[in-house]
Amino acid sequence: MFSVIIYGRNDQHGYNLHKRAAISFNALAEVMSDPDDEILFVDYNTPDDHPTFPEAIADTLTDKAKQHMRILRVRPEQHVHLKSKTHLVALESQSRNVALRRSNPKNRWILYTNTDMLLVPRTEGESLSDILGALPDGFYQIPRFEIPEMLWEAAFDRKDAAGNLAKLRDWSVRFHLNQVVHNFMPMKYDALGDFQAVLREDMFAVHGFDESMILGWHCDSNLAARLALYRGRVDTLMDKAFGYHCDHTRVAAANNKGRKTTMNSHDKYIWNVSSPYIPEQAETWGWPDVKIEEVRLDRDTSYERYVAGLSQAIEPATVPFTNTSVEWHLFDDLTYDLRHTLPFVCDQVLTYPKSTSILVAGCRADFIQRFATAWRGMGFTGPVLVPQEVGLGVDDPAIKGGRFGDLLKRADLFMFEFGLTTQKIDDPVRVGREESLADRRQLKAVERLFRRAASTEAETRPKGRQTPRRCIGVNVIYNRYWPVFTDYISANINPFCAQVLAGIPLAEPVTMKEKVILKFKKKKAS
Amino acid sequence: MAKQGFLKSALAGVGLLRKANAPDFPGIDDPDPENQGTALFRRGRYRMRAGEVENAVKDFDRAIELLPDYAEARVSRAECLDMLGRAEAAQPDYVEARRLWAAERTGAPDRSYIWRQQGRLTFEVESYELALERIKTGSFPHSAVGNALMAHGRPAEALKAYERALKIKDKDPALLALKGEALSAMGRYRSAVDAFSASLKAVPRAPEVLSGRAVAYAALGRIDKANVDWRRQLSALPEHQAAARACVTMRLGAWTEALPELERTIEKAPNDPYWQLYRLTALKRLDRPVEPVDAPSGDWPAPLFALHAGKATPETVLAAATTEGRRMEALFQLERFKDVAETAPPHMIEYAAARNELGR
Repeated sequence: MFSVIIYGRNDQHGYNLHKRAAISFNALAEVMSDPDDEILFVDYNTPDDHPTFPEAIADTLTDKAKQHMRILRVRPEQHVHLKSKTHLVALESQSRNVALRRSNPKNRWILYTNTDMLLVPRTEGESLSDILGALPDGFYQIPRFEIPEMLWEAAFDRKDAAGNLAKLRDWSVRFHLNQVVHNFMPMKYDALGDFQAVLREDMFAVHGFDESMILGWHCDSNLAARLALYRGRVDTLMDKAFGYHCDHTRVAAANNKGRKTTMNSHDKYIWNVSSPYIPEQAETWGWPDVKIEEVRLDRDTSYERYVAGLSQAIEPATVPFTNTSVEWHLFDDLTYDLRHTLPFVCDQVLTYPKSTSILVAGCRADFIQRFATAWRGMGFTGPVLVPQEVGLGVDDPAIKGGRFGDLLKRADLFMFEFGLTTQKIDDPVRVGREESLADRRQLKAVERLFRRAASTEAETRPKGRQTPRRCIGVNVIYNRYWPVFTDYISANINPFCAQVLAGIPLAEPVTMKEKVILKFKKKKAS
Repeated sequence: MAKQGFLKSALAGVGLLRKANAPDFPGIDDPDPENQGTALFRRGRYRMRAGEVENAVKDFDRAIELLPDYAEARVSRAECLDMLGRAEAAQPDYVEARRLWAAERTGAPDRSYIWRQQGRLTFEVESYELALERIKTGSFPHSAVGNALMAHGRPAEALKAYERALKIKDKDPALLALKGEALSAMGRYRSAVDAFSASLKAVPRAPEVLSGRAVAYAALGRIDKANVDWRRQLSALPEHQAAARACVTMRLGAWTEALPELERTIEKAPNDPYWQLYRLTALKRLDRPVEPVDAPSGDWPAPLFALHAGKATPETVLAAATTEGRRMEALFQLERFKDVAETAPPHMIEYAAARNELGR
């Protein structure tokens, strides 16, 4: 019957976003009763190495919310062409249009709202699907009522959607929450963007939201103005449902700088709208030709993929714990426990598109072998690119060999592993093992490839790609490859136990010369 | 999410109420039910805003007595009753208003959106006039008022509204197209063609503007030029707009092309009898066999279905056609194309289709 369209990203947009959003997703699902109903969440421009926002809070969502939710992930690379034109990291019009294009064509209605809204049918037991199903064609809004921050934060149980709606029925009376804020037409009510129910067909006819609105604010009012022209009227649905907003003003959201807030022009996009249509984006709105990944919370989840991949690559431990050490005298010992490290390595890649091509150069054949197995098991369809210069002779259906120079131009992601090529899976770890000649040769080869990849990353990107590629280092903490890796890669400080660092290449590698100068400057200053 | 821009709006509203201490509601004593009913509606809305909700209800009661199909008054009365805590009493009015709007037949889907608007739109006109108290540099309220006036069949007043909008947004292609529609509705077809052409210069593939100019060309007797525009409109209309495409192909008298579009439209809107009727028309024009179709109930267009089924005579059909539009529909189904071409309003599908049939 209807597709709810909302958007956001895995960040901190305003106070206690996680709780607000969980309450809202669960409440929206609670008022759905048609199997075709869907909550389309556009996860816009979350960094590639993060999960989408709903995935990050999935444990707080009800089964019903997970079943109805479809996450459409817009990657940073897909946003990069707009990056220089806006100060915002998530764009409303683009997000909503991406979802509209991909919404269920069986649904008659599109409902635009936000991730902090609860919709309460006035007749208990009635669903929003029932309400919309009985409505004649039109464009409907409802007023937004505010819930004080203390109430939703302290009294709502995220997963008790029905209980939360019941509480709202009670509070609305007890605390006089229901105040309708009228507005100038075509914005029938204030904060109209929290409930605009539109025919899907109408949204296609008017070419969606205006994608030139990239400075934030008023996208909802612009839509209202255009649909008010198109339909002639803006109807109320106040007799059927009330909408409650989880107030979040303790902390200003990123797009709210008080009087200094940058906004789309009020005059241009509301008071000088002269047509419902946007002919200049008639063919392109919602990026019809762009492949947008879809993520589900009720099937093929990241966790399921992770488990599937690792269970193919490593067997369960047979002892209660194993040992390693960060003692100083072991700094040059490059042995590590592969079975312990692989889960942390896989954790670094799981949020990337399944079609990702990863270039892997390593010292240990068993590392590459097991990683390739896990890669396939996690459902990746892109290849594991292993340069022939590494020369380990590992065979796997996922592995594609080739010249390093060629593979550089195909890779979306890099991984360099610095272990001892002679180490076997059950060898002891960090007990003061010396490197053999073969180890040294292999390490040198991988180090050379790493330096080349990191220092030429910008020049070797695949055609059309604009964002820098991430580089993962395996066994690069608290050993001599720690400074080598971080000279080139902007990695955080990670616990030794994880063995893994990752980041994007620095614009300028930190050279030894710079290090000396820095040291000298510091000395002089003190 | 209070918006800074609305601070001014709010203050303007206060100013308006202060200025309007003793507002005038022209037509409040007019014996004409339409004038009196709409004046009562406006006073009711004013009283609502002033907090005199009980008095507002009385105005809406009276307006509905005078004009039982006044959906806007019903919704306003419902809102008042709801505000007074009488939610159950409000419900029937909300329902009835929606029923009334939905029951109105709207303009053809290939024409400008302004012909598809339902209701008296008095609430909208009043609201936009209120907005104009503050918005001095915005064209939107003017064009919205113009559209409402067009829906009311008042193109001369609408034209003035569009011209006010064009003073603010000079040469805007969308406003020029609206001006063209107003001129066309006033019978000033040459000026309409000029306005549409100016609009199309900026946006050459705007389907509804092409349609507007085609209608004006057809009215000027230039069916050849009209057909060129309709062809261009057809090529600009996306596949999913089957209803609009069906209308354009029917105007062109291109029944082979019309048939699949009509069938797709019926899939989406199986309860609209006109699409079924037009499908029967297409089949007949193409000399294809016609399977029996369930005739709709009601006084119209049921007689036209009876005609197709051979169960009604031309005389009975024409007798049942109680409005000018219905008469034109009947004449077209009777294949009296010359009569249609000479007397139908140019915006009707039947008019262009008849002209094209005669041109074969």
